[in-house]
Amino acid sequence: MFRAHMSVTRIWQLIEKRMMSCISVHGKLPGLQRAVGEVRRKSSFRQSPLLTATPVRALIDEQISIKGRFLSQNYPVTVCAQMHSEEGDLWEAFAHYTTNASSSINLTSDHSVGGSYVGCEPMGLFWALEPALGSREGLRLRKRNVETPYMVNISLLEGHTSPSEGQRTELAAVTTERWYMAPGVRRIEIRQNNIVGTLFLPPGPGPFPAMLDLWGMVGGLLEYRSALFASRGFASLSVAYMGHKDLPGPQHIMSVGDSYFKSAFQLLQDHCQVDADRIGVIGLSYGVVPTLRIATTIGFKPSCLICINGAVGSPLLDEDGKSKMFESDQKHWEFDDRGYVSFRNVSLPDNLPPESKRKVENITCPLMYIVGEDDLCTASTENADVIEEALRSAGKSHQFTRLSYPGAGHLIEPPYTPCSRASLWKTKPEKLFTLWGGHPAPHAAAQEDAWKRILEFMETHLRR
Amino acid sequence: MDRKQCCVKLSVQPSRGLMDEKFIVLVQNALPGSQLTIRALHQCEDGHSWEAFGHYTADTTGTIDVSEDPSIRGTYSGVEQMGLLWSLRPIPGSKPGLRMRKKNIQTPMEVTISVYQGHQTEGFADLVPLSGVVVERWYMAPGVRRIPVTEGGLTATLFLPSGPGPFPGLLDLWGGGGQLVEYRAALLASHGFASMAIDYLTSKFTMETGKMVDNQYFETAYRVLQQHPQVCGSKIAMIGLSFGTSMTLKMAIYSEVIKLSAAVCISGSHVQPVEGSVEEIMGFFQKNAGKTRFNEKNEAIWRDLLLPIPTDPSLKADVGRLQCPLLLVVGEDDQNWPAQESALDIKEMMARAGNSHLLTVLSYPNAGHLIEPPYTPHARSSTFKTVEIQEKVMCLWGGQTVEHSRAQEDAWKKILFFLRENLYGDRNPTLFSHL
Repeated sequence: MFRAHMSVTRIWQLIEKRMMSCISVHGKLPGLQRAVGEVRRKSSFRQSPLLTATPVRALIDEQISIKGRFLSQNYPVTVCAQMHSEEGDLWEAFAHYTTNASSSINLTSDHSVGGSYVGCEPMGLFWALEPALGSREGLRLRKRNVETPYMVNISLLEGHTSPSEGQRTELAAVTTERWYMAPGVRRIEIRQNNIVGTLFLPPGPGPFPAMLDLWGMVGGLLEYRSALFASRGFASLSVAYMGHKDLPGPQHIMSVGDSYFKSAFQLLQDHCQVDADRIGVIGLSYGVVPTLRIATTIGFKPSCLICINGAVGSPLLDEDGKSKMFESDQKHWEFDDRGYVSFRNVSLPDNLPPESKRKVENITCPLMYIVGEDDLCTASTENADVIEEALRSAGKSHQFTRLSYPGAGHLIEPPYTPCSRASLWKTKPEKLFTLWGGHPAPHAAAQEDAWKRILEFMETHLRR
Repeated sequence: MDRKQCCVKLSVQPSRGLMDEKFIVLVQNALPGSQLTIRALHQCEDGHSWEAFGHYTADTTGTIDVSEDPSIRGTYSGVEQMGLLWSLRPIPGSKPGLRMRKKNIQTPMEVTISVYQGHQTEGFADLVPLSGVVVERWYMAPGVRRIPVTEGGLTATLFLPSGPGPFPGLLDLWGGGGQLVEYRAALLASHGFASMAIDYLTSKFTMETGKMVDNQYFETAYRVLQQHPQVCGSKIAMIGLSFGTSMTLKMAIYSEVIKLSAAVCISGSHVQPVEGSVEEIMGFFQKNAGKTRFNEKNEAIWRDLLLPIPTDPSLKADVGRLQCPLLLVVGEDDQNWPAQESALDIKEMMARAGNSHLLTVLSYPNAGHLIEPPYTPHARSSTFKTVEIQEKVMCLWGGQTVEHSRAQEDAWKKILFFLRENLYGDRNPTLFSHL
C-alpha cells in the first residue's frame, strides 16, 4: 500500500514548513543519551501517563504498535523518537496527535496532524528519522555492527511541539530495541578464496536457501540486509568488492572482477548448510552489474535475481569486470545549485558502452527489477525498460517482475529506516555530496512494499 | 538429502518478547496434509532441560498456525497459542520436583522451537528437525532500570520503568521460601510500575542476626519507595503471594505509615494472629504443622494448617477495616493454603463491615497455589524449603496444568488492569489489546 497518490510537492512543502518553524538552536548534543533540551518534570498530570510500544524488541522490518494512555480527552501531544547512530549523531522524528474521547492515542490508527510526517503512519517515527538540527551535513544511517540493536527512545510530550524547541514537558517514555539479527542467527566472517564477506546463517539444521548480497559503489561491507535475510530463514552472504582494507589494490578502485563474484557464488554452493540449487542474487545500485554478469555467465544458474536501481552495464569495466576509477569520466555528472552531484546520466542506456551491456535475454531465471522513480543516482527507469524489452523480445516476459515506485529514490533498503535524499560521497580533494533522490513518505512506502515483495519473491523461487 | 527439507519454514513473531507477550508460531511451505511435530526446548539456569511439543497436520496450503490450528496430542492439545511455553516440562529422566524460576532477569529465557517430520513423542535429541528458530523471552523491557536497595537495612531491588515518571509504586512480596525474587517486579516495571521486590524472610539483617524483621521493615520499604523522586508517593500498591498475602493484609489494614492505593493478594489467607509480629505469625502456622497431610506420592499438603477458618477475630486480619481496593486471586485446587475458604470468609467479613465494594475475587477451578505471570510451566508439586523448616520437602501446590495455565493468563491480565485502573487514573480504563 504505497502512497503514490500523495503529491510529492506537498510533502516537500510540509518538510520545509517544519524546518522553518524550529526557532531555537538544538541543545548540547554530544555525550547525551537523550538530548531533550530543557525539560520540565512538572506536567499538568498528577502522575505520568503511560506510553507503550509492542513489541518492545523488534526486528527492523517488524511493525511496532505505539500507544499512549491515561492522558486527557482531546489533548494535544507530540510523540518523539530519538536515537544515536553508531557515529554518535542524534537522529530524531516527531509527530503531532490529539487524544480521543478515551484519552489515548494509538499510532496504528490515529493520524498525525504535523511534524516529521502526517497521516496514519504506524512506523512514521522510524522512517521519518532525520539528523537533529545542527548535525553534520550529508549523513546516512547505516548500521555497521548488526549484533547489537538500535536503541530508540520514544517519548510523549505535552502539546504540539518539536524536539528542538526548549521548554518541553516530557510525560512518558519507552525504550525500544530494533534488531537486524534475530536470536540464533549466526554471523560468520568470510576471508577465504580471496573473498571478503560475511555469511549469515539462520538458526536450525539447514540446508537453507541462500542469497548473494551485493551493494553499491560506496563500498565497504554492509551486513544488515543479509542479517535480516537470515532472520527470515535464508542464508545470506554479503561481499565487499571495493573500499575494504582486506581487498587487494587501492580502496577507491574496484580491483576484483568477474572471478571474484563467481567465487562468492561458488562458496555458497559449496557450503554444507546451503542448498546449492536454491541460491539467488540481490544487487543494489552498482551491485546490479555483477548480479547480471553472474546470471549471464555460463556455469552459474542462480534461482532468482533481484535488481534494485541498477544498470545493465557500466562505462567503467574492462573485460574481466574490473573497474577503472569511477571519477575518471565525469562528463555525465550533473550538479545542482548546492554543488551536489547526480550520477544519473552516467547510466543512461545510451551512455553505456554497448560491450558492457549484458545479454539479459540469456537469463534463465526469474528477475525482479525495482525502480525508484525519483532515483537521481542511476537511470533506473530507463535500464528497467531495456531489461524488460530484452526479455520480452526473447519471449521471457513471464520471468520479469517490475516494481516501480513514484517518489522513491535510489537507496531502496529494508523498511522503516530513513531515506537519505543526499549524502556525503567523498571528502578529498574536497567534500562532494551525491544525490540519491527520494522523498520521505513515498520512499518509506516503497521500502515497505518492496521488502515484502522481495521476501515473497524469495519464498516463491527459493523455497518452493 | 531430502528435497523437502529446506522448504519448510518456521517463524515465531515476535522473536524477542516479554514473558507475558503472546507469540505467533507459523509453519509454512510444508506438504499439505503432512504430519508435523512442533517442539520447544529450554535449558534453564540450573542446567535442566525442559520440553513441550504438539502434533499437527498441515492444512491444504501447507501451513500450520499454532494460534488457530489444534494440536492433536502432545504436552498440550487443542488450539493453544502459547502451549509450547506453558506446557514445558522437564525432559524424561530429569530429577523430580523441579520448578522453573528465573534468578537473573537481566538475560532472557531462550527457547528453541523446532518442527519435525511426523508425530514424534520422544528421542528428539536424536532427530534432525526440518527447521528451527530461537526465541527470547524477557522479564525486563529495554530501558527498565534495576536498582539494588540496601537503604534502611532493606534487602530489596527496585525496578524503574523508562521515562521521566513519576510512576505509581508497587511493593512486591513472595512467600515462605524467602529469597529475593525479582521476576514479577521486573515485569511489572516493564508495564509502567516502579516495583520493589522485597526479601523479608532471608534479608541480610535476618541472616546476620538470626532475627526476623518486623513491621518497620515494610514501612521502611514503603517510605523508600514513596520518597523516590520518580515515584508518585500517593499511588503505591502492594502485591503478595502466599505468605506475602499475610504481610500485605497486615500492612494494608494495620500500618499507620503504609497507605495503599490498592492491594493484590494471591493464594493466601487473612488468618493470622492480629497482634503478631512476622515471627509470631510464622510461629502460628508452625504450631499447626501437625495438620500436614501427605498424598499417595508422599507430597506434603499444608492447606489444613489454617483450617478451619477461625471465628475468633483476633486470629484474622480485620478486612472490614480495609480502605483500598483489594483483588484476591484464588486457585480452587490450592493444596498449600486454604485460599478459597479464606476468600469466602473475607467476602463475608467485608459484607458485614460494608466495604465489600472494595473487593474483587478471581477464583479459578483446578488452578493451584503458584499463580504466577503467564506462559511459564506449571508445577503441581516441587521440592521446597521454607525458612522455618530447614529441610527440603516435596510440596504439593495443586492445579491441573491446562486450567492452571489459563488461570495464570487470565489473572495476570486482570491484575494489570486492576493496578492500572487504581494507580494510573480513574479515567476510562481502556482496552489493553496486547494482553
